[in-house]
Amino acid sequence: MKERKRRVSRRQFLRGAAAAATFTIVPPHVLGGQHVPPSDTFGAALIGCGGRGKGTYADMCRGLNAKLLAECDVRFLDKADNQTVFTDFRRVLDRKDIDLIAIATPPHWHALISIAAAEAGKDVMCEKPATRFIAEGRAVVDAFKRYNRVYQVCTFGRFGASRDKNNILTHKIMASGLLKDKCQGVYIKKGGFKVKEWSGKPDLKPEPVPKNLDWDMYCGPSPLKPFVRERFGGTHRNYWDYEGGGLSDMGQHFFDPVQWIFAKDHTSPVEIEAHAPPAHPEVTGMWGWVELKYADGLTLVMDSTEWGQPYDRKPAKSVSLNDLSEEDRKKLLAMPDPEPMLSFAEAVKTRKLPGGHAEAAQRSATILHLANIAIRTGRKIRFDPVKEQIIGDEEANRLVNVPMRAPWHL
Amino acid sequence: MNANEKLIALVNQMPQADARRILGTVDKEAVEKALGEILQGGKENVAGVVDLLVETGKGDDGKARYALHALAVEVCKRKDAAHRQMFNTALAGTLGSDRPKEVQAFVIRQLQIAGTKEATPALGKLLLDDELCEPASQALLAIKEGAVEQFRNVVLTRATAKQALPVVQALGVLRETKSAGEIRKLIDAKDRDLRLTALWALANIGDAESADLLLKAAEQATGSERAKATHACLLLAENLAAADKKKEAGRIYTQLMETRTDPAERHIKEAAMKGLLATGGSRRLSN
Repeated sequence: MKERKRRVSRRQFLRGAAAAATFTIVPPHVLGGQHVPPSDTFGAALIGCGGRGKGTYADMCRGLNAKLLAECDVRFLDKADNQTVFTDFRRVLDRKDIDLIAIATPPHWHALISIAAAEAGKDVMCEKPATRFIAEGRAVVDAFKRYNRVYQVCTFGRFGASRDKNNILTHKIMASGLLKDKCQGVYIKKGGFKVKEWSGKPDLKPEPVPKNLDWDMYCGPSPLKPFVRERFGGTHRNYWDYEGGGLSDMGQHFFDPVQWIFAKDHTSPVEIEAHAPPAHPEVTGMWGWVELKYADGLTLVMDSTEWGQPYDRKPAKSVSLNDLSEEDRKKLLAMPDPEPMLSFAEAVKTRKLPGGHAEAAQRSATILHLANIAIRTGRKIRFDPVKEQIIGDEEANRLVNVPMRAPWHL
Repeated sequence: MNANEKLIALVNQMPQADARRILGTVDKEAVEKALGEILQGGKENVAGVVDLLVETGKGDDGKARYALHALAVEVCKRKDAAHRQMFNTALAGTLGSDRPKEVQAFVIRQLQIAGTKEATPALGKLLLDDELCEPASQALLAIKEGAVEQFRNVVLTRATAKQALPVVQALGVLRETKSAGEIRKLIDAKDRDLRLTALWALANIGDAESADLLLKAAEQATGSERAKATHACLLLAENLAAADKKKEAGRIYTQLMETRTDPAERHIKEAAMKGLLATGGSRRLSN
């Protein structure tokens, strides 16, 4: 019999759309129901089992009844069974009974695995820093919007910051727009960037690849280079191919809450200047300070205290009600406080955005990437926060969107 | 002191690893002064620094590598076309030689930073080199200007899968519409990566003629290949909608909505519905 082409009526379509909207609040593999009962179990997997792996997994599962169904790591060549233990994250994503993915690989894999997980219909808790370069973060935001999945970056300082009375006031002042472009605020983060601790050791001799390690898969989108033990297992932080030193690694902890306090989850700095010596081609190294200015005048400063002269351009200055006119103060005090942030668990259950959602994570990671670009290019850069491009410096833009090793791409 | 000895003396002023084996005590002014003097020596000096490079692990070239990279950054910083061109010519002239491939890959990565269109022919020749096609492709993508011609020169059906893969990806990234026909021939390739990269490239290019091929490939695939191929369909639909080819985009969305009935693919169905609504698709549906 000739098969009739199915047509979807407008009514059917709208009914389907409404049903889909309802169904999105249950785990992808569960049919029906309007909300997830507390007894329901989420299938979960951990990708990247070393270092922060267990911690990231525990952070993801907090408040959820999750069952670990799969573990994946490029070091599992000797024990992978492709049932519950994997070396290739794509096989993990094939499993329809897995709803939640914790990603704790080195950062050069964060964006690609997050995106692939969204494409496979999974929700994601991703270790920080969210990305290795700026364009990756935009692709993550787009993917999680496209597939309506939940993404939370694994740093939680903003949750605590958002409960503090003074922070709430600063947030409201900044979010109100009442300061226009006259913000005098200067936030200085002094020390704690572990610059020397996570500086790389150049010129190490290549070694044989360990038998249990899939080195090609480890390198992934980054250049395939001779195996050096330091490139792997925590000290990956010290290589530009995988991360961006202590600045990237600690920076999202430090600046993600600050970004929320100053209501900058939707934008990025526009002028960035660094004091640093010429950077090494492979390994991360020394830097003194980085100054990042937003369009409204807000200045963020990273002062490493580990190289060169300390930052002395401006003193720290908070944003307060005194910065507003009497009339604007009244307006501000009449404004409601921001809504409390949702945890990852709450977001998974309600299908709403969690506190550290993809856009917020992209913007706080961008602060770090811009700082590192200023350090690596040795020049002041100007950034367009809408186009997410460096203005008038095509060579610096090469670090905004770094070509990936095929077949990996955004 | 002859020219070579003088160059070596300048390179030796690059930072030395400290007791912790990191570059913890860099004298910025001294390094920048030495770099300036190397640049004053022009093409011979830059090529001379490349001559100091040895294959990783086979000698001590750490300072030469640091110097070459710092020079790449410096010529960009100076915004001086003559310095930039000199640097490009010098580096491009060292490629394709009998130098170790790992050394050439390092030189190519410096062109990824500071390369201009002058370097693209030399990089293009390496697209058929199994060991260098990947870094050459990435450098060309970073340079952009003059890159498309180099990628289009590669006859994809004659290249090995390893050589074709970065080229197809690059043509996708560059949205090279004229190459869509050649890329279409690869969507049945035996190599999984090449097959999926071809699908993605066609989607990113926004090739309307590929819609049925992509939908068929996505329908027949399983597991992560199905997810990737399906993503390519959605990406193609988005690109077609953005190019005001809403009817073509709507057809893709509708087919995905009708065929993604497995609850595990509910997010695809939803994404297709959203896409269709965004293109005004619901108005075209019968009441």
